Amino acid sequence: MSWLDAARSRARLFLSRRASESRTDEEFRFHLDMETDRLVRDAGLSRDAARRRALAAFGGVQNHRETMREGRGLAWLTGMSLDLKLGGRMLVKYPGLTLIGGLAMAFGIWFGAVTFQMFGMITTTKLPLPGGERIVRVEVWDSKALHEEDRTLYDYQLWRSARSLTDLGAYRDAGANLVGADGGAKPEKAAEITASAFRIAPARPLLGRVLDESDERAGAAPVVLLGHDVWTNRFDRDPRIVGRSVQIGNAFATVVGVMPEGYAFPISHELWLPLRTDVPGLEPLQGGAITVFGRLAPGMTFERAQAEFAALGKRLAAEYPATHAQLQPHVLPYTQMSVNDTDMKAMMGLTYFFVVALMVIVCSTVALLLFARAATRETEILVRSALGASRRRIVAQLFAEALVLAGVATVVGLAAAQLTLTIWGKPYLEMAWGAQLPFWIDFTLSPTAIGYALALAVIGAVVAGVMPARKITRGLGTRLRAGTAGGGVSFGGVWTAVIVTQVALTVTFPAVVMLVRGESKRVASYDAGFPTQEYLGVTLGVDDGQDETLTPETRAALDTRIRTALEALRARLEAEPGVAGVTFVDGLPGGDGHKARRAEVVSLPAIRPRWVAIASADPSYFDVLNAPPLSGRTFSRADLAPNIRVVVVDQGFVDLVMGGRNPVGHRVRLVTGQAVDSNAASLPTYEIVGVVKELGMANAAMPQREAGVYLPAAPGSQGSLEMIVRARADPLSIAPRVRELAMVIDPAIRVEQITRLDQVTTPLLWLLGLWTKIIIGLTVVALVLSLAGIYAVLSYTVARRTREIGVRVALGASARRVITSVFKRPLTQVALGVIAGIVLIIVAATVAGKTTQFEGTGMGVMTLRDVALLVGYAILMVGVCTLACVVPTLRVLRVQPTEALRAE
Amino acid sequence: MAIRPQTDALRGSLDLLVLKTLSLAPMHGWGISQRVQQISDGVLEVNQGSLYPALQRLEKDGLITSDWGTTDNNRRARYYRITASGRKALGSELESWRRFAAGLEAVLRTS
Repeated sequence: MSWLDAARSRARLFLSRRASESRTDEEFRFHLDMETDRLVRDAGLSRDAARRRALAAFGGVQNHRETMREGRGLAWLTGMSLDLKLGGRMLVKYPGLTLIGGLAMAFGIWFGAVTFQMFGMITTTKLPLPGGERIVRVEVWDSKALHEEDRTLYDYQLWRSARSLTDLGAYRDAGANLVGADGGAKPEKAAEITASAFRIAPARPLLGRVLDESDERAGAAPVVLLGHDVWTNRFDRDPRIVGRSVQIGNAFATVVGVMPEGYAFPISHELWLPLRTDVPGLEPLQGGAITVFGRLAPGMTFERAQAEFAALGKRLAAEYPATHAQLQPHVLPYTQMSVNDTDMKAMMGLTYFFVVALMVIVCSTVALLLFARAATRETEILVRSALGASRRRIVAQLFAEALVLAGVATVVGLAAAQLTLTIWGKPYLEMAWGAQLPFWIDFTLSPTAIGYALALAVIGAVVAGVMPARKITRGLGTRLRAGTAGGGVSFGGVWTAVIVTQVALTVTFPAVVMLVRGESKRVASYDAGFPTQEYLGVTLGVDDGQDETLTPETRAALDTRIRTALEALRARLEAEPGVAGVTFVDGLPGGDGHKARRAEVVSLPAIRPRWVAIASADPSYFDVLNAPPLSGRTFSRADLAPNIRVVVVDQGFVDLVMGGRNPVGHRVRLVTGQAVDSNAASLPTYEIVGVVKELGMANAAMPQREAGVYLPAAPGSQGSLEMIVRARADPLSIAPRVRELAMVIDPAIRVEQITRLDQVTTPLLWLLGLWTKIIIGLTVVALVLSLAGIYAVLSYTVARRTREIGVRVALGASARRVITSVFKRPLTQVALGVIAGIVLIIVAATVAGKTTQFEGTGMGVMTLRDVALLVGYAILMVGVCTLACVVPTLRVLRVQPTEALRAE
Repeated sequence: MAIRPQTDALRGSLDLLVLKTLSLAPMHGWGISQRVQQISDGVLEVNQGSLYPALQRLEKDGLITSDWGTTDNNRRARYYRITASGRKALGSELESWRRFAAGLEAVLRTS
C-alpha cells in the first residue's frame, strides 16, 4: 500500500503547514543540542566552541528549512500569497488601471451572474419543499398538434392505479371573485385542488385545518381554505374566520382554515377549493383542464415512473384510438415547464457561450492594459530573472496580479448582480411570463451562479494575466545576455486584433441601440386605427362552469345567466354620463390575444391560403370603435343567429390576401392546426359581407401588417372576454365605476384587469427600454475599454521609443513627421475596427432583413439617413480615439533630445 | 549535465543509508546522522542538515514514518521508523546497488 502511505503523509505534510514549520525548528534544535553535547563530551570543547562547530557541521539552517518547505510542495503557496499581496499593492499604485480594468471585468461578471441566475431560476428543478426533487408533474403531449393536452381528468382516474407515484393529485386554476369582509368582490388566484397537495407540500395551517379527502366527495359541504394574504387583506386577520361562510363567485363556502405566510402551492395561489375528480360517467378528453402532480414512490426513479406512465398511455391509446392515439403521458420534474424544452436548453447554451466570449473579449483588453504596465516594469522583471526567478515564477506573479484585480471585480460584479436581480429581475420575469411568479423562484444569487461568476473571474485572470506574462517573458534569457532592457517587447498581432475587435464592437453596439430604439418608437407609435387613448380595455373573467359535476341543464342556465349579466352590465355602463359606448371582443386591439387561422378563399382557388388573425366581436364593435364599413356592411344582431355564417374583413385582408380585389361576396374557409386538415373541406365557409379599416389586429410587437377577419359573437359565448368602453373624458376615471357595477350586477363576473387601450404596449416598451439600457451599458464599457487600450499601447510605444524620438528630433526631424510615425499604428487599428464594425452592421442588417421579425421593414435596405448616421458615428469614433492619443502625443512633443539620450 | 548524476548518486546513497539504518531500529535524526557518519565514512561530514530534507522526502514517499518520542535522557525527539514499503524499497535498492557496485568493480578490475 505504498501509494496509500505516500498519499497519507503528503496530505499530512500539506495540511499541517504551520505544524510542519515548528516541527522542523524543534528537530533542528534537538539535533544541534545533541551535537553540541557530543562535542563537549567527546572533543573536550567549550560549550560556545562546540555550538559553533555543530552549526558549521549542520550547514545553513535557513537553507535546509527552505529545501524542506519546497519539499512539502508549499513553496508555490508561500510565493502565491506574496504575489497576491504584491497584486493588492499594484491595485493601489495604478488606480486608473484598477478602475477601468476592474470595472470592465466586473461588468462581465455582473452580466454572467445575472443571466446564469435568471436561467437557473427558470430551469431549476429544485422545489423548496421536503423531498422537492422527487415531486413530479404528469404532462400529456399531443404529438400531432404539438401542444400539451390538459383535459386529462379521465386519464387521471386510471393513473391513480400507478405504483411509481404516490400522493397523486391534481389542480386547476379557478379564478373567482371573493367577497371580503367589507362586502367588496375582487378576483383572487384560486386553485381547485385535491387534498393530496397538502401531503406533497405540507404546512401547518395558521388557523383551522387544510382540505382533506372528505371535502371532495359528492354532496360534501362546500369549503374553502384561505391564504395568508387573503386573510390579512380581505378579512382583516379575523381570528374567528374559521367556520364562517364566505361568498366566492355566486356560491358560498365555509372557511376551514388559513395557511401560513408564503404558502402558494401549486404555483402562486392564495385560495384553495376542493377538486372533485371522481366524476361518474366521464368520457375521455371531457372535463376542464387539470394539472396532475405526484411524488416518486420510495425506490422509484424518473425513468421507471416514465416507463409505467408510457405503458398506461399505450393502454388508453389502444382503448380509445380516436382520442388517445397521439397522446403520450410524460413524467417531468414538477418545475419543468414543458416536455419539449430543447429550445430553452439551446438558448441557454448559446447565452453561456456568449457570456464567456464577452468575458474573453473584455479581459483581452484588460490584458492589453496589464501588458503595457508589465512592459514598463520590464527592468524589474529582468532583474528578478537575473536573480534566479524562473519564467514560470514570473508568469505566476503576473497571473496573481490579474487574479487580485479579478477578485475585486468579482465582489463588485456579484454585488451589482444581486442588486439588479432584486430591482429588475422580478418585474422582468413577471412581464416576460405575463403572470405572477411561481413560489419557488428565488432571486438570491444561488451558489452555482456564484460558482459560475468565480469561474468567469478565473478565466478573466488567465486571459488578462497569463497571456501578457507569457509574451513579456519570452526570450528573457536572450535579453539578459544582450543586456538590453527596452525594445525587446512589442505589441504583436494579437493585440492589434484585440483593439480592432473592441473598436468594431464599439461601432456595432450603437447600431443595435438604434435598432432597439427604432422598435420602441415603432411600438410606441403603434396605430390601432382609432383613438386608443379614449378607450378602456376591461379583461373580464366569468365562471364558465368547467366543473364536470354540473348537469347540462345547470350549465345552460349558467350560460344564460352570464349573458344576461353582461348585457345588464353593458346597459348600466351605457347609461353612465361619462360613457359613449360599450362593446365586447375576445382580444384587445394591438394585443397578442388574437387567434390565428389559415384563410382559404374558396370562391377564388387561385389565391394562396394565408394565416390571418381572427377576432370574435359583438355586432356593436365597429360602431363603438367608430369604424364605418369601407364597402359592404358591418354586423347586425341578426348575424348572431346560429345558421348565419358571415364575416367582416379588414383592409389588411384586402391587400394581403385578396391582392387588392374587392372581397365582398366571396366565401372564405378558416382552418385550424399546423397542417391543412384532411377534413378541412367539410369545415363551413363564411361569406365576406364587408370591409373595415385596420383596427389593431396586428400585434404591436410585430412590424408586419396583418390580415384580419371578424366573426360575429354574442358576449360570453367565447373563451376569453374583453369589454371595450369608450369614454367621453379620461377613460381611467370610469374604471372604479366599472368594477363597482360588475360586482353589483353579478359576482360571477370578475374584473381582472383594466387598461387604457393606448397602454396595451406599456410592458413591451418597458422590456425594450431595459434592453436599450443594457446595450448602452455594453457600448460604454466597450468604448472605455477601446480608449484605455489605445491609450495604453500608445503611451507604451512612446515610452519605449523616447530615445529614438530624441535622436530623430536631434537630427532635425519635424514634429509632424515624428507624430505621424507614432500615430500610424493606432490610427490604422481604429480605422480597421470601424470598417470591420460597419461591415458587421451591414451583414447583420442584411441577415435580419431576411428574418420574419424584420421582414418587409426595409431592415435589409439601408436608407441614406442610416448610412449618414453610421459614417458620422465612425468619424466620431476616430475623433474620440484620437483623444486617447493626446496625452502620449504631448509627451512626444516634450521629448528633449539631450534628456532622451541620457534616459538609458 | 555533468553534475546531475553525481548529486543523484549522492542522494541515492544517502537514502539507502538512511533506510538501512532505520531497518535496524527506529531512530531520531541526530542518531541517524551519527550512524550514517559512522558507516559512510563521512558522506554527511560537511552538511548534517541535508539529512532532514532526505528524511522528509522518504516520509513523503511513504518509505518511513515518524512520531514524537522521548530519548534516554528524557528529551522530546522525532523518531523515524521504516514502513513495509520502505523495507521493500530497501531490498530492491540494495539489490541494484550491489549489481551497480559489482559492475563498477568489474570495470575497475579490467582497467
